[in-house]
Amino acid sequence: MMDKPASQIRSLRADELAIAPAAVLPWNDLRIARPPALRLPVAGTGPAVIRVELGLPRPKLTSYRFAPPAAAAAAPAPAAARGGRRVEASAADAPPQPAAVRRTRIAPPRDIVKLSERFFYLLQPDLETMLHTGKLEFPRQPFPFQLDGMAFLMPRHAAVLADEMGLGKSMQAISSIRLLVRSGEARRVLVVCPKGLVSNWARELADWAPELVVAVIEGDQPRRRWQWSLEDVPVKLANYEVLVRDRDLVAELGLSFDLVVLDEAQRIKNRSSQTNQAVRSLDRRRSWALTGTPIENSADDLVGLFEFVAPGHLSDRMAPKAMGAAVGDHILRRTKDKVLKDMPPRLNRDERIELTAEQRETYRRAEEEGVLRLADMGREATIQHVFELVLRLKQICNFDTATGESAKLDCLQAELEEVQASGRKALVFSQWVETLGRLEGAFGKFGALQYHGGMSTTARDEAIRRFKHEKKHSVLLLSYGAGAVGLNLQFSQYVFLFDRWWNPAVEDQAINRAHRIGAAGAVTVTRFLSVDTIEERIDEVLRKKRDLSETILAQAGEPVPSGLTAEDLFALFKLAPPQHRAAA
Amino acid sequence: MQQQAEPGDGAVFGFLTAIESPQHGLFGGYLVVDGLGRPLEFHCTAPVKVSRAQQILYGPTLHGHLHGQQIGAALLAESKASPAVVLTDHDAMLHVRPHTKLPVALVRPLDGTEAAAGFTVGTARVIPHASEAADDVALCERLAALALSVDLQEPFDRIRAAIEEAQRH
Repeated sequence: MMDKPASQIRSLRADELAIAPAAVLPWNDLRIARPPALRLPVAGTGPAVIRVELGLPRPKLTSYRFAPPAAAAAAPAPAAARGGRRVEASAADAPPQPAAVRRTRIAPPRDIVKLSERFFYLLQPDLETMLHTGKLEFPRQPFPFQLDGMAFLMPRHAAVLADEMGLGKSMQAISSIRLLVRSGEARRVLVVCPKGLVSNWARELADWAPELVVAVIEGDQPRRRWQWSLEDVPVKLANYEVLVRDRDLVAELGLSFDLVVLDEAQRIKNRSSQTNQAVRSLDRRRSWALTGTPIENSADDLVGLFEFVAPGHLSDRMAPKAMGAAVGDHILRRTKDKVLKDMPPRLNRDERIELTAEQRETYRRAEEEGVLRLADMGREATIQHVFELVLRLKQICNFDTATGESAKLDCLQAELEEVQASGRKALVFSQWVETLGRLEGAFGKFGALQYHGGMSTTARDEAIRRFKHEKKHSVLLLSYGAGAVGLNLQFSQYVFLFDRWWNPAVEDQAINRAHRIGAAGAVTVTRFLSVDTIEERIDEVLRKKRDLSETILAQAGEPVPSGLTAEDLFALFKLAPPQHRAAA
Repeated sequence: MQQQAEPGDGAVFGFLTAIESPQHGLFGGYLVVDGLGRPLEFHCTAPVKVSRAQQILYGPTLHGHLHGQQIGAALLAESKASPAVVLTDHDAMLHVRPHTKLPVALVRPLDGTEAAAGFTVGTARVIPHASEAADDVALCERLAALALSVDLQEPFDRIRAAIEEAQRH
């Protein structure tokens, strides 16, 4: 027997060992009948137990609560539609399926870094739902790209809407203002525009946001003081000149705005101007700028603009690409070719005009004498002298100063006869008011009307009204200065540029009075060019230059001014600028 | 026909979903909106990852337990709102029902093969949890009122966008 603890000893029975039972023995040997016991030790511990954690951890939670939207301000019933069918954005009478296939989401801009604020925008309903639930009426259904524009503006405190002219920047701004006022995010809005566009803006606000009460700041000083002080007016409308004049008054009244919108914001590109300083002095939370030409001549224009939109964001020492990267999230620009499917086509034609014999002789003499004079002046010839010669020659291209003959007028007359016969309407642009006067005299049978800066606001509004509503007026004669900005004349199918402007951007603005959203059909643009004259040479120079804003906004290439430089002007007569001639 | 509740009459609605991230795990999101679809509350979970052992041992019960009890119940408990119904686009989220007093229903897009259960509201098929059988009619009316303003599937897109944003942050 081995010396082991009993617990480690296991007894085996005979049957386990397959030992055959013994034969039956006498009673005193019965003890043998019991099978012998064997005790064997068994080594090892009991089975190990492995514990498996089954419970899943309670996840960590993050919570955000948003203030319930403010109740919409009580507003008067919308004004009756000013012509045209109003589109009811509500589906109150329609089957309850409000979801639009397209969903325009409001994305938070990059400069919103706090997650809770970014969530606020991400968790909003899409714009189509907002417009539907808000039961907002529109004179016509916004285009998808216009909804994108609204989604761009709404979350931004600093924004430039730089759509090409005619794509509805004012409509996008007004509709965004409307939604912000409805949601309580804006209660005091100031819209600033050029003087000539105040009535246009008042009309557009009435059309696109009829429930908003608007106060136009105008009149004498006591009246303006009262208007500035009005408290329950969500939108105030003022022109740049009034703002400059009332800068101290606004400060004295302690006015602050939830949103300031500048229309034709290129007006403030000059940082040292009173206009720029006046708008920058406004106490505001959001700053939006609307301009089809954020860069007219150089990158400095954009810097000047951003001194209002986002002070300190840009510097004139920045390279164009760096500037483009800095403004990328703040600027939205669409061009007609991108949204062309929503627009009627624009047909461009250059009409090359041969001067009459008398015009040609007058032109030849004037150019020869002018160039000789410039050459004789040598270093004393300034850009002003060159400019005067160019203007004189351009005027001869319009009308012979000696005989009054005009090849352009003859050509235009034939075109306008066709326009009138077809029942259409045409716009004719010139840089000279005198030219407009001559054309009005010649085109009385077309009911020609004038529109220029020398007219009163009332007279201009009346001219627009008559041109729009009276069939006998087939032609509107406009100056580039007054007529190129902001007017909606999309019922005109023909645009004639009687003479060219210095800057393609301004010409495009003129053309876009007609070629814009809502135009009934294709718009034909005719540019008159007198053959073998200064006009052709200017056209050639401008063709080589492209809009600087496209360069910066596309973040590529070197900046190229879009207007004519001094060197360009001297080069028109194959002259070097005075400083270069001195060096030669 | 019984009069429908008007949208924006004070009723709120909950939208509950989960998003699987191969990299991080399972995120839960819960959005509470008013009758016009505007956000009132948003709750989300940090990602939940299960171990291999838990996958094996829970077996087919894991999906329901994870979505319903771990994520769904936690999110609903965190909210202070009492929505008329909690909608989900995840079958597994229906397992939250035993852990909450709120009515719960599944939302599916209409695909022409609608199950016998449930009812159509707008462009969605709504299948209430079995516990809601007695309140089907009232639920249908509530959701019909909401559907005047909101596509019932759309808020889930917002939750997904918010959770993606949270992952980037």
